[in-house]
Amino acid sequence: MSRSREPSNRLWTALAAPGIGWLLLFFLAPLYVVLAIVFGQRDPLFRTAVPVWNPLQWDPTQFNYVLRRIGPGGVYFPALARTVVYVGLASILCLCIAFPVAYYVSRLAGRWQGLLIALLIAPFWISYMMRMLAWVNLLQNDGLVNKILSFGGLFDVNVDWLTGQPVVVVLGLAYGYVPYMVLPLYAGLDRLSQSMLEASRDLGASRVSSFVRVTLPMCRPTMLAAVLLTCLPMLGDYFTNDLLSASPKTAMVGNLINDSVQAPGQTGQAGAFVMLVLVATVLPMIYYVRVTLRGDEVRT
Amino acid sequence: MSVLTSAKDIRGPVGWYRDPWRKPRVLAGITIAYLAWSLLPVLIAVMFSFNDGRSRTNWQGFSFRWYWGDETRSVWHDASLHTALLQTLKLGLIATLITVPLGVLFAIGIDRWRGRLPSGANVLMLISFVIPEVLLAVALLFVVTSLALPFGLGTSAQVVGLVTYQIAYPAVLVRARLATIGRQYEEAAMDLGASQLESLRRVTLPMLMPAIFASTVLVFADVIDDFVLVRYLSSGSATEPVSVKIYNTARAAPTPALNALATLLLLAAFVAVVVGYLVFRRMTRNDTTTDRGIGAFAGEM
Amino acid sequence: MPVPNGYDRGRPSRRQFLQRAAILAAGAPALGAFLAACSKPGPASSGPSLTIAKPDSPVKWPIADDNKPIGDNLPPERGATLKIYNYADYLSPQAIKQFEDRYGVKIEVSTFNDGDEAITKLRSGVDFDIYNANYTEISRLVTGGLVRPLNHSYLPNITNVWPSFTNPWYDQGWQYTVPYTIYTTGIGWRTDQVPADIGKLSNPYASLWDPAYKDKTAIIDDFHTAMAMVLLKEGITDVNTSSADDLKMVGEQLTALGKATSPKVTITMYSDMPAGQIGLCQMWSGDIINAQSYLPEGVGTEILQYWFPQDGKGLVDNDMLVTLKGGKNPVLAHLFLNHMLDPAVAKENFSAIGYQPPQNSITADTLVAEEFIPENLRSAIVKPEYFDTGYRLLELDTTNEDAWRNVWNAFNSGGS
Repeated sequence: MSRSREPSNRLWTALAAPGIGWLLLFFLAPLYVVLAIVFGQRDPLFRTAVPVWNPLQWDPTQFNYVLRRIGPGGVYFPALARTVVYVGLASILCLCIAFPVAYYVSRLAGRWQGLLIALLIAPFWISYMMRMLAWVNLLQNDGLVNKILSFGGLFDVNVDWLTGQPVVVVLGLAYGYVPYMVLPLYAGLDRLSQSMLEASRDLGASRVSSFVRVTLPMCRPTMLAAVLLTCLPMLGDYFTNDLLSASPKTAMVGNLINDSVQAPGQTGQAGAFVMLVLVATVLPMIYYVRVTLRGDEVRT
Repeated sequence: MSVLTSAKDIRGPVGWYRDPWRKPRVLAGITIAYLAWSLLPVLIAVMFSFNDGRSRTNWQGFSFRWYWGDETRSVWHDASLHTALLQTLKLGLIATLITVPLGVLFAIGIDRWRGRLPSGANVLMLISFVIPEVLLAVALLFVVTSLALPFGLGTSAQVVGLVTYQIAYPAVLVRARLATIGRQYEEAAMDLGASQLESLRRVTLPMLMPAIFASTVLVFADVIDDFVLVRYLSSGSATEPVSVKIYNTARAAPTPALNALATLLLLAAFVAVVVGYLVFRRMTRNDTTTDRGIGAFAGEM
Repeated sequence: MPVPNGYDRGRPSRRQFLQRAAILAAGAPALGAFLAACSKPGPASSGPSLTIAKPDSPVKWPIADDNKPIGDNLPPERGATLKIYNYADYLSPQAIKQFEDRYGVKIEVSTFNDGDEAITKLRSGVDFDIYNANYTEISRLVTGGLVRPLNHSYLPNITNVWPSFTNPWYDQGWQYTVPYTIYTTGIGWRTDQVPADIGKLSNPYASLWDPAYKDKTAIIDDFHTAMAMVLLKEGITDVNTSSADDLKMVGEQLTALGKATSPKVTITMYSDMPAGQIGLCQMWSGDIINAQSYLPEGVGTEILQYWFPQDGKGLVDNDMLVTLKGGKNPVLAHLFLNHMLDPAVAKENFSAIGYQPPQNSITADTLVAEEFIPENLRSAIVKPEYFDTGYRLLELDTTNEDAWRNVWNAFNSGGS
């Protein structure tokens, strides 16, 4: 073979370079700016953040201030703990809802599959704000939910759904993010081999046993990917809480960030929270990438 | 325990339960319930956009008041709602036009390039895929307000943020597609004398078209819906798209004009998807390796 | 993929790791220097510290040499877009339209949710012409060079407002500001959800802590306003205190508030209360008046009630309009300010947004007589006497404001 089949890496480098450059410039570098602000100074007059670029001059007071208050017993601990709980519950809820739906649509839907998929994708085209607003409407004190619950006046149900109810926030999160889970699950379940599933039934396993011991393990990588895809972005959500319950009782870490970013003197604290959430996001992702690389299959 | 059931056992509820080939009614029920839960609130919101009165919870009759009827507050007459709609479409187009080529080239390059740098870049891209949006928004806000960049807050900053956030979509979709296609076609073309670049352009790229189109549609739908990034990076009401308008007004005193605006946006996204699907079908009309149903179009995701 | 010779692709060798660490360590300061070079030069702020204006120590602001007022008799800018930066729903659309028609220009209103967000935006170099300010920001605005001094020859309508506003303590000689609205901060409630007469209680503020009203209450989403109310509840009249004990007490009271009634924290009472979402809340007087127009059909305005101490010993404030230095249409900005000081326009604005302008022609009696304001909301009308006895929320100095904000943050994050 005279001509090399493996071209030099140059072509590929050239193709990937703009994308890599963009990510470095607008994704990685801003994270450094966040560090510069968290460890930076504050303008004495306006108390806005003044970034300090040289790491040798970094001042850890703002970061320490936050760090000291996030442990158990600290002032910010309830918000952080609440975020973990809400996101965890919402993710489990999403999984429990999305999995049967994805399973049905990918394997059992028959001729309705096209229509069902179109309907599954529909929430993506609808403004997230609109979907949340729709629920705000329904949950208002004189909204449809209360009307239905009171069976048209039979019972006097006057639940204030929109004042700091954790249940409403968790359901709101689940409602908002479940479409993001259905699609990857669908894509992954689509690729499962039917013959393996049938084989286990043929060999005598009961329905439940077959599901637990064959189907679930085969779906595990897909489920993991889907959960990560949904659960990690949820960590930064603040507008669901804002719209569905403007109460500090259900504040999440996203609210902490959003409230303090523009407040004078508090920008550094916001940056510190940004760093914390970033770490919480990046670590599972890196772990996931390691795990899948070891398995050496092409995964999204 | 025997799994075989006699003919007698098939009748009756127990038999029905044991029948391995029965119709999956429970799952079908769950799916339909999910779709109802997911879409009904939106349908109700769309319905109220045609409300005659000012309320968004009490039906007061059908009219197009909030679309063009009302003199000051309907979508047609309220200039601020126009600006919002225009800004949304502007952002959608520009961001999509930049994101898709960037992401596609990135995916092709990363897929073939050997070395540690590309796997690092891949991890970076995946992280940008799952990072909570508020983190990126805050970081870019800091960048734009602390560094003397050629652009300030406003449309340019919003586009930059959106591209960064969305670039992973085409990258991921195209990579998945590349893995499915494999390299044999490209290698065959090179065996027949094409250069690397040529075979890429004339063989691989056309085969990637479905994935490219799927990602275009996805990115567009995602961008016009984006909220956190565009809000942080906006410079004033002229650069606030519809999602921010809805949020701002929702916390004060919304009128059904908001529902009308969102319905129009929904229509725009729907049209985009339909157009994308029709183009997808046209592009793959001679392609026997891909399934051309809507399932496959969605399955690209 | 087979891994040749046991070489693990994923893990860098120690030498490579040390190499990379060294490069990073050497590069970071260089990167730092590079970024510092591209840094935006901030405004000169290492000058004198904030001068805090107080009613008993009024301040006349200096006018910098590079920030002189515009000249007299200049023509208004043609075909321009006047940019106003204001709270949402705080400017009558009709007033805007009248101005647009009269001068043939367009007006663009951008909104902010709170003053901090606004100042941050203003400092980032936007080109708004007019800003709705509060005197808790005036020192920062002037010292930071964000506002433009006024040329009084464009503002003859100033004679229509209360004379005290031509020489207010926060801006002697009204060099930078004109008054916009006046309001009090009291307690508002709906009689159908809160049958008790809150005004007759010995300590009406304490009703917000009453567990009987759980999940029906709200407080204003501003750290100073909300915490000042807590101070007043405890009988402390220095609502700008820097006493650490007082602040600690406020923190504890806020925690107790959260546990007792779990209030919402918002500024949208004017639409939430008529919608029935809120039954009892700390409220601005303008909000309760504005709330009338948000009541659903068939619900009368008698269910809305408002309380403010009759002797005026409560929180009294006014908002102001200022012209911004970054604005491109200073003449139009002056003309717009003058437009809003016109009695007819001000009255129409009052009916649209609910907040009272300090116009001489508008008094409590005329308002009730004209049935502009229903009798049950008479207490929401602001009287000039209030400004003599009332307590003002003043600008806080840096360390004090940090202390206040930390207490508020702790409450807002739902913590203890």
